[in-house]
Amino acid sequence: MVGSETRRRQILEAMVRVVGREGYRATSVADVIEEANVSRTTFYKHFEDKYECFLAAYDLVVERVFSEVIAKCDPEQPWLDRMRIGLATVVELFALDPELARTAIVEVAAAGSDARQRHWDAITRFTGYLAEGEQFGGDRELPGNIGLMAAGAVSGLIFDELLAGRAERLPELLPDLLFAMLVPYIGPGAATAEMRRAAAG
Amino acid sequence: MERAGVGDRWRPPRGRHRLPPEVVARSQRERLLEAAVRVVAAKGYGAMTVGDLTKEAGVSRTTFYELYEDKEACFLAAYDNAVEVLVRRVMSAYESKQGWPDQAAEGLAALLAVLAEEPALARLSLVDIGNAGPAAQRRYRAAIQRLTPLFEEGRDFAPGGRGLPANTSRMAIGGVTGLISDELVAGRAKQLPGLLSDVLFATLVPYIGPDAAAREVERLTR
Repeated sequence: MVGSETRRRQILEAMVRVVGREGYRATSVADVIEEANVSRTTFYKHFEDKYECFLAAYDLVVERVFSEVIAKCDPEQPWLDRMRIGLATVVELFALDPELARTAIVEVAAAGSDARQRHWDAITRFTGYLAEGEQFGGDRELPGNIGLMAAGAVSGLIFDELLAGRAERLPELLPDLLFAMLVPYIGPGAATAEMRRAAAG
Repeated sequence: MERAGVGDRWRPPRGRHRLPPEVVARSQRERLLEAAVRVVAAKGYGAMTVGDLTKEAGVSRTTFYELYEDKEACFLAAYDNAVEVLVRRVMSAYESKQGWPDQAAEGLAALLAVLAEEPALARLSLVDIGNAGPAAQRRYRAAIQRLTPLFEEGRDFAPGGRGLPANTSRMAIGGVTGLISDELVAGRAKQLPGLLSDVLFATLVPYIGPDAAAREVERLTR
């Protein structure tokens, strides 16, 4: 007998797959239950509607991404190294799983205001990791929302690639993404050096 | 006849009149375009119907279909119209100054002003664009392309600017739109002009670094 929790996960996983392939608007509950191989009754036992299911699926995706990043990053390492490894982890995850990437970055914008809010919360959480970068500001006080600038720059580039269906090419973009993320903190000279290190490594 | 702007509600007189059909059609077209922006802001693109548009604009269904094929066509026309106004205002502000940081500051101030004046348009472009379908998304990207000179000039201005990544302007734009989206999602469209220091910093920093960017911001927003 398959447990209720397992069924729930199957449905959420299916939602990520279908939305990642077809887009949120084109996805129906029928598509999801077919992908998950569950009955309509089972679906509605766990979720009120497509939207609620999508929100839960999105939360699952966010947790997966953050736990991969946390697993790969050693808090003992210097900030710059952690940022490079963290970004590389996200990029690899997206390149290996374009459906997850599309759900996480592109389709979430199309799903509705609760989804957008959660996406924003995830980005804010991401910028928390960047906060240590402010130590590089020296005496100069950096803008309060510098993390949001860096996150916006990175997600804009990733969004463009995903929209063009080029998730597999994201690892090639890593040097540029690194530059985008670091430049508000350390300036173009140092960011270019980091970019070259990433391109060589 | 002057183009009707937002807020102008000139209509042809009721009943029989001698106005040329193209004048009448232009007025109806413009009312529909204004209606599209308002309705999308109120209920979102997906929920918008042709009935909503005709009611808001005060035109008949028949008239609607004489002017537009469907709701998407009307929406895209509204979007094109709004983008045209925005790009012209931003680029003419940009060109009114000398030296890239000064030009960027002026252009960005105009951008924030237009978006604050038309929060429905702002939401449409940045927040709801994912919902509006691939045709609208292409329009959005084309609009960004037209504003790219505002950012790309940094490459010539900055020492060593030529050596920067090819998509540096895209990064600056991403930083700026991230900041603007944050305000819009929080319902603070009216406060957009207050973002000038930050969007200017985001624009300058990939080219000249945080120290120089902070100095320029201070000089230009005092």
